[in-house]
Amino acid sequence: MSGQNQTPFFIGYLPIPHGLRLFLVVVSGLLIGGFAALALAIGTAQGNPGTGDFQWGWGPQEVTGRLEIRPYPLLHVTTGSKHIPAGRTLLLSGVGKKGVRPRVAKLDGRLVRLKGFALKRGEIDALQVGDNNKAIVALDGKAPAVKVEPLGRWRLKGEICDGKCLAGAMRPGRGLSHRACANLCLIGGVPPVFVSSAPVDGNDFFVMGDSKGNPLPPEILHHVSVYVSLEGTVERRGNIMVFKVDLSSLKVL
Amino acid sequence: MNGGSMVVWLATLWLYAGGAVAAVFLLFGIDRVDGNARGAYLFRPLLAPGVLLLWPLVLWRWWTLEAVSGTSDDAAYDRGRYQAVRAGHARVWSVLAVLVPAVLIGALLMRQPVPDSKGAAVRLDAPAPKQ
Repeated sequence: MSGQNQTPFFIGYLPIPHGLRLFLVVVSGLLIGGFAALALAIGTAQGNPGTGDFQWGWGPQEVTGRLEIRPYPLLHVTTGSKHIPAGRTLLLSGVGKKGVRPRVAKLDGRLVRLKGFALKRGEIDALQVGDNNKAIVALDGKAPAVKVEPLGRWRLKGEICDGKCLAGAMRPGRGLSHRACANLCLIGGVPPVFVSSAPVDGNDFFVMGDSKGNPLPPEILHHVSVYVSLEGTVERRGNIMVFKVDLSSLKVL
Repeated sequence: MNGGSMVVWLATLWLYAGGAVAAVFLLFGIDRVDGNARGAYLFRPLLAPGVLLLWPLVLWRWWTLEAVSGTSDDAAYDRGRYQAVRAGHARVWSVLAVLVPAVLIGALLMRQPVPDSKGAAVRLDAPAPKQ
């Protein structure tokens, strides 16, 4: 047909038109090289997620100890398992993005036996308590008191996160998706934790409570996963640190 | 209204507008601009999510296709149906080639910096002495 358009046109099942070969090679090279460079740049821009993880290989853990529910549920282990020795303090959460407070509300200070899967990040121990009725059993007997050591009033800089993801359920990240994930956990009742940029007495991970040691108000959700400065008293309970914060001191850095 | 609430409000408004466009286009408009769609209904709900997000593009295409529907001038029909879209490819490609990396790099640069560990833990008071 005379006068037809002679512009080369790519059709996948036909040989590549001569005029498009160089274009195809250049674009392919740029795309492959560009995406490889992009992947490298994004990968190297991320922080080290650390070693936190579910300890599925340990199997279900059954531990006994003294349960405390203020500011958030903790278990001070008196009779441990092969992997969780007596003397450890476990941060407690439920399955998924849920806490266990409603299930243990009447067991404050009691001796209980809990069953679930462990999470561990360094010195942080947590337990995802199972959903079934046998996962939480109140026992007869005296629950030994837990040593509380006040460490004074501190100003800490760091990030508010949820204790389950930080302990290993997820890779702690940054940004909006990290914030959304953490807030869903906190709304579900998972204990909030403060991850300090510098340690206090060797610890940079703190269970949070308000200045009276009660759970934090919902307003805290606006300040999750951004770097903030907070003042409050720090105490060691068992082998876990508790940061009782004065929310009026909160400053976004 | 803070920045986050404004974003949510604008997104909600966008989706409501998209819902209105989807309802009118998928019930009436698509029959007017695409003969192959006439009498076919089951596939239309599948298009709704896309229309919710891309409703300005749908409106523009609807407008351009209405303008050439029924014309007996093949060249004018081609210009309206096909060339109108292809003519924009180079411009859109150029804008996205700059915009996407700019957003990505900008987001990385604007991230809140990690606090320096120096001075990040300051003891203000010693614990109260035991009574």
